[in-house]
Amino acid sequence: MSDQATEDTPLEERLKRLEEILVRLESDDVPLEDAMKLFEEGVAHVRAAEKVLSASALRVEELLASGGTAPMDVDES
Amino acid sequence: MTDDLSLDLFEDAGEPAVDSVTPPTEAAPSMAEGTAAPSEGDARPPQDADEADRPKVWSVSQVNRAVRSLLEDTVDALWIGGEIGGWTRSRAGHCYFTLKDEKAQLRTVMFAREAQHLPTDPEEGMKVRALGTLTLYEARGEYQFVVTKVEADGAEGLWRLAFERLRSLLDAEGLLDPARKRPVPRYPECVGVVTSPTGAALRDILSVLRRRAPWVRVIVSGSRVQGEGASGEVARAIDRLAETGEPDVIIVSRGGGSIEDLWAFNEEPVARAIAACPIPVVSGVGHEVDVTISDLVADLRVPTPSAAAEAVVPDGEALAEGLGRVPARLARGLRGVVERRRAGLSDTLRRLGRGVERRLLPNRQAVDRALVDLERSTRGALDTRRLHVANAAGRLDALSPLATLGRGYAVARTDDGQVLRGVSDFSTGMRFSLRISDGEVVAEVLDTTTEDES
Repeated sequence: MSDQATEDTPLEERLKRLEEILVRLESDDVPLEDAMKLFEEGVAHVRAAEKVLSASALRVEELLASGGTAPMDVDES
Repeated sequence: MTDDLSLDLFEDAGEPAVDSVTPPTEAAPSMAEGTAAPSEGDARPPQDADEADRPKVWSVSQVNRAVRSLLEDTVDALWIGGEIGGWTRSRAGHCYFTLKDEKAQLRTVMFAREAQHLPTDPEEGMKVRALGTLTLYEARGEYQFVVTKVEADGAEGLWRLAFERLRSLLDAEGLLDPARKRPVPRYPECVGVVTSPTGAALRDILSVLRRRAPWVRVIVSGSRVQGEGASGEVARAIDRLAETGEPDVIIVSRGGGSIEDLWAFNEEPVARAIAACPIPVVSGVGHEVDVTISDLVADLRVPTPSAAAEAVVPDGEALAEGLGRVPARLARGLRGVVERRRAGLSDTLRRLGRGVERRLLPNRQAVDRALVDLERSTRGALDTRRLHVANAAGRLDALSPLATLGRGYAVARTDDGQVLRGVSDFSTGMRFSLRISDGEVVAEVLDTTTEDES
């Protein structure tokens, strides 16, 4: 896992980073130690992204007059 | 027609109030029975004996009132077709024009209450049909057609005209320029939706988002999407959502309906709000065939609410599938790196591999398999390489001068190792060495003879 990545790292960033890692791993000039680190970081991103994707319920909020939001009751049918 | 409307017309025309010239109702001659001329009706009989012999004299007001009643009571509301002439809209919003054909014209008025529903003013000479009632403008004794609807001939008529007018306006401002269109993010964290909070469109959108990308956060900015003032409401809903700064993309949407139902999305406020929105906007209004101004201004136009939802989020299942293949790709990449660095690779790799397994992989079968695969093929690659070396050694041996020396040849060299190839390399008394198959011999030149010297 890279230093910047946290639980909240957006999915888009993770996927982009994964692409970078794959490109880097497939390039000619990456030292073995770096390759290992990239590999580990990649696997960590995959696991984190899979966790995001496994979310069970859509969060639906309503924009209030105040400019804030509140959970919205929606008909799921 | 009611007095109210006549009053409107009257005041707008800057004339004195109609009441001041209208006789009391009970004094008006009744023409309701279908008679074509003023009759005694319920007018009071003359009281004065001197007047008994004189002809009955009606006031102008009485007659106009009577004719007006006659017109209004005997002619039902009707459609009249003709060409528009001299269309003017007053400050109060009343519209005055004439309906014409080749031979005749008819003064026509549309009051503000109805005129405000017109999508746009018709053009001069435009062929229209108008629904209304015939009446008489008593103050002037002019008969006129008071209409509640004006429709242009052809599909969608005035709606199409209004659409084209706004489109040209926005186009002239560059707001429809394809270069303005921003890309819609592929993996939004937060999706904003501007639509009716109770409409089918929202249900459709949420159901698609739930199926494809249940991890996203949705913020609904509710708005009426049809009827009076809907366009302004939609515009404000877009502005407010943009002000939160939360969404990565905004869907502006409503379900299908008549062109009138969809009209808010063809009006300027919505177009301007979309154009000004700092967040990319996807417009999904109506059914497949409907194209609205909001579609044209938006960064992305999709045919329906469901399609809008599909356009803004990835398909979670496909994404998960792709992600599932990534560990194997990572392992393949790593293997490539390792293969490119053969020295001491087997040991290092096994050590690192075990480390990775220990730290990361107890619960990840895919990567586990990938690593096993990786080790196996690396070992395979090593064996292959060893074989290559053995073969190369064999070939090297065949080419070695030692093999040639074995057949009885010798190589003559100077003390510093330079090979002596020709007679001219030797001089009498010079010392040199001979390399033969099993060692060296030191020799001295006694004499030289060059072949083929004649």
